Amino acid sequence: MTALPNANPDAKPRRTWRKNAMMPSVPTIALFILPAFVLYTVFMVYPLVQALIFSTFEFNGLVRGDFVGLQNFQQLFSRYPLNEQLPRAFGHNVAFFLGTMAIQNTAGLLFAVLLHKPRLGKRFFRTVFTMPYLISPIVVGYLWRLMLNPLFGPINNTLKSIGLSDLAKPWLGDPATALPTVILVNAWMWVGFPMLLFGAGLAGIEEDLREAARIDGASNWGIFQHIEFPLLTPVIGIVTVLTFIGNFNAFGVVWSLAGVDGPPAGATDVLGLVFYRTAFDGGSDAFGLASALAVLMFLFIFTVSVGVQTWFRRLEDRMQ
Amino acid sequence: MKSRTRFAATSLLAVLLLALVGSLALAQDEVTLTVWSWRTEDEDAYNEIFDVYEAANPGVTVEFVPFVATDYNNILATGLTGEGGPDVAQLRAYGGVQALIEAGQLLPLDGEVDLSGFTDAILKGATGREDGHVYGVPFGVQALGAFYNVGIFEELGLSEPETWDEFIAALDTIAGAGYIAIGNPALDSWMLPILHDAVAAPRYGGPEFEAAVLAGETDFTDENYVASIAVLQDLQPYLPPDVTGVAYNDARTLFISGLSPIFIGGSFEIGFWKSEAPDIEVGMFMVPPPPDSLTGPLVPSWMDGSYGVNALTEHPEEAKALVEWMGSVEFGQMFTDKINQLSPVAGTEPTDPLLAEFATAMMENPAAYMLLVDFRYGDPTGTNILGPEIQRLFLGETTPEEIADALQTGIAQWFTPAEAE
Repeated sequence: MTALPNANPDAKPRRTWRKNAMMPSVPTIALFILPAFVLYTVFMVYPLVQALIFSTFEFNGLVRGDFVGLQNFQQLFSRYPLNEQLPRAFGHNVAFFLGTMAIQNTAGLLFAVLLHKPRLGKRFFRTVFTMPYLISPIVVGYLWRLMLNPLFGPINNTLKSIGLSDLAKPWLGDPATALPTVILVNAWMWVGFPMLLFGAGLAGIEEDLREAARIDGASNWGIFQHIEFPLLTPVIGIVTVLTFIGNFNAFGVVWSLAGVDGPPAGATDVLGLVFYRTAFDGGSDAFGLASALAVLMFLFIFTVSVGVQTWFRRLEDRMQ
Repeated sequence: MKSRTRFAATSLLAVLLLALVGSLALAQDEVTLTVWSWRTEDEDAYNEIFDVYEAANPGVTVEFVPFVATDYNNILATGLTGEGGPDVAQLRAYGGVQALIEAGQLLPLDGEVDLSGFTDAILKGATGREDGHVYGVPFGVQALGAFYNVGIFEELGLSEPETWDEFIAALDTIAGAGYIAIGNPALDSWMLPILHDAVAAPRYGGPEFEAAVLAGETDFTDENYVASIAVLQDLQPYLPPDVTGVAYNDARTLFISGLSPIFIGGSFEIGFWKSEAPDIEVGMFMVPPPPDSLTGPLVPSWMDGSYGVNALTEHPEEAKALVEWMGSVEFGQMFTDKINQLSPVAGTEPTDPLLAEFATAMMENPAAYMLLVDFRYGDPTGTNILGPEIQRLFLGETTPEEIADALQTGIAQWFTPAEAE
């Protein structure tokens, strides 16, 4: 083990010795960092840089043509019907995010609180609630598509058989209900995830705090409102950022539940689908255009995620 | 002792040499041609077909490698860029093959391969739009029409309608008996331009209108084209309720489960009817021309795809010989018999009666499924615009005029009439 040069070896010999002993040499550090660094570079940095480069070129199928600067980006906002589909899809992603925050994450928090105390059934329900996200989004979409089928699906058949024919809607075929349905199915699939995170957060809150509040006469709701919820802020921050990233990259569930062009009439179209169509169903210049869209999506998601995270961190600091 | 050893050594050497020479000779004669395709469901049929070719061409082995259809375009585009690609590749038609042609990934076949079995209209689907060379030997043709459940028609005392009034009267009778008259989907947008062309091509004038648009004499905002879109509104009451929620496979299920006796679609459904509903007798009729139609009944059709040769193949001569054979009557007949689709090769006769009906109808009332045949050369394609727009029509969010405008706006971004010819 090579010791780092020490200007004043006599000052605090013991501490310095310890420090040096715990500090591995630069080559050792490099060796340990290398695998992750290589993997990260090859699978994250390289494709990102590649997409950025692709987005500034013209393409003929897979063959790269001339450098065109920002023309692909400009095309995204000027070529019909892309120029109408993009803002619409963006709006749907925003709705998707807000709806998921309101439904999935609220339900996740509720389940976490309900499952925090009881001994009996805790494991069972946790497993049940987390089960759906072990299934592939494509399969979830397909299953719900069968359930919601307006002609043969069990949901509408049940509604009809109990005299609620008015509620038997073409859930995925009506623009008014299609996106909410997608949000609900997606929430059904992912609700276990915030539940686990919130559960871990709740378990991390010291029991003394709750007991002290209870002695002071606080109700359960009061404890949740004034102690548990504020102390969950870091977890809420993480859940919000992960939900945001997940929702703005949404593809699998929407694709298998609704379809590649976000039917009906684009009512469930999201950025992921627009990207997919541009890349795999577009013209021969699709590669450059799709790369441009990917770059924009990445920049937007990255910026907002960092922003939200910073905001939550400040909020935590202020609370402390 | 010594001489025996020498003899043994010499003979061993001779045997080894012979074996080496033999394997070299074999290596020169034995050619394995890889054929890539998106038709996983046809693998057995193609293997039987290529067995015939292998028997007639000793030394050539044809290996049929199918991929999942939805990923095929990307797999092929990648495969053609380097090593490990196919010798012969199944190619999409019209606009779908242009990127590969423009990238120089296919060998031109005109002048190299006998293409005399095909009409120009068919070859158009395998022709480079820029250079005019033919890059593939067409293998299939699809045509549009109406399938009907013969049993239900007989039960209701109906016959194949020949006029629009008879058609509507039949639909009323069917709906009155509690069936969904036309069991077509609208959730999958790609089926909607098919429905439009199968029903309303005569209303806009079919081939004459197509020629006029290509020549720049008119465009999609033409009143006749607008009226052809409006025909779909007249049919909506006969489609399934909440049709925009009905998926393609739901609709096919309606037909094979006897809940709906009519399905308007393409000849590519015949195999599905045969395998999934062998007990249902299926007939076909041409949808009668809607009121004020400019032509008689029409059967819109298109070339489905072709087989081309990889520009990087190590066996160009053998590969060309194989695709040439794929343009022969021998191949075409086996193709239509075993795969239940129409062959574009002149002189082939479908043995399946339903397919034969399509063939006859198509021959007597030819038209191009124009949005596919002429308007898939740029982005957005005609069908990609019309499909979602017809969904909006069914939802009451738009009008035929607005749809025609949208279609024209989208296509005008890359299509200029002078270019079309």
